[in-house]
Amino acid sequence: MYHWKTIVRYGLPLLTICVLIEIFVGQLLQQQDNLLLERLPIFLISIPVINSVGGNIGSILGAHLASGLHIGSVSLTLKDKTMRETVLTALIMGFITYSFLAIGIYLLGIFTGINMDIHFLNFIGILLATGFVLVCLLSIISVLTAFISFKRGIDPDDVVSPVVTTFGDTLGIILLFLFIGVGGL
Amino acid sequence: MLAKEMLKQSLPLVLLCGIGGLFTGNTLGLMIDLFERIPGLLVIVPGIIALRGNISTAFGSRLGSAYHLGIINEKNMWNNELKQNVLGSLALSMLISIIMGILAYITTVFFFHTSPNPVILIGIVIIAGIISGLILTGLTIIIIYLVFKRGYDPDNITGPALATVGDIITIFCIFATALFMEAIF
Repeated sequence: MYHWKTIVRYGLPLLTICVLIEIFVGQLLQQQDNLLLERLPIFLISIPVINSVGGNIGSILGAHLASGLHIGSVSLTLKDKTMRETVLTALIMGFITYSFLAIGIYLLGIFTGINMDIHFLNFIGILLATGFVLVCLLSIISVLTAFISFKRGIDPDDVVSPVVTTFGDTLGIILLFLFIGVGGL
Repeated sequence: MLAKEMLKQSLPLVLLCGIGGLFTGNTLGLMIDLFERIPGLLVIVPGIIALRGNISTAFGSRLGSAYHLGIINEKNMWNNELKQNVLGSLALSMLISIIMGILAYITTVFFFHTSPNPVILIGIVIIAGIISGLILTGLTIIIIYLVFKRGYDPDNITGPALATVGDIITIFCIFATALFMEAIF
């Protein structure tokens, strides 16, 4: 079923695009180096958490949909009940996880003694808003990617994870900067 | 039924991964001086982390589907399907690391009009990319084996477990490689 050349051939174009986007994300970070490295390093610490949770939930969702499509328990319609149930579970999971972790990041910030010139509630608000909007957007992207790739005869397993994590990294950082702005920082 | 099982198996893991994200974030916090000394280093962080996550979660996701299709299982794991997957993942790691190093250098010169030492920047990406690739491929096989042995659905576990362990290992590889390259040049 698998051959390494096929894996490289299918993976390379998509990963190259992902890398291009991630380099753009990296440039966004570098643009904000004053905020992230000096003013509020707590947001630098938050970035891997935001991205990892968003990417994980999107990937779990994608992996479930991919397996469902492979074995035929999920059908290619946006009305599919199993798909909807899986998406709802992903959203609930996102909300619970981000709530816990926002508190965790704040405690870590206090514990490690970095510059914390931000109110607790302000920080939690920014993180939860970023996290929840992110999970909603990623769920939509995950479903669409799984369905479209499967319909075109491409294995969703090869496609969904990279697409979701790349979008997750980009959107996560853009949303974070957006809500930091809304929070007036 | 599906939602309940998905929550039960995935939520603790997503939380755990988020805590892993805290470690990654904290390591980034420790690297602040390094980011200020090596221009362009912050730019490659999202890319190299995403690359690792993408390649190994796609690897895990493919093995998950192979399991659902009955191609591999805990008694028949070390077959050609697995070998081709390992080879494909390693080849992708190598190729994409080279592309990313060059892109990071070019975009940093273009956007910031500063010229980071190309040998240091590209060297960090390639060395960190390949070392973390080797470590993570080995880890993927171990995780898949444990998941099979315990009879869990790999779709619930491999993606998040790999993405998180991957982030931590990758950021340490970047940290160590950056220190190493700085010491040499």
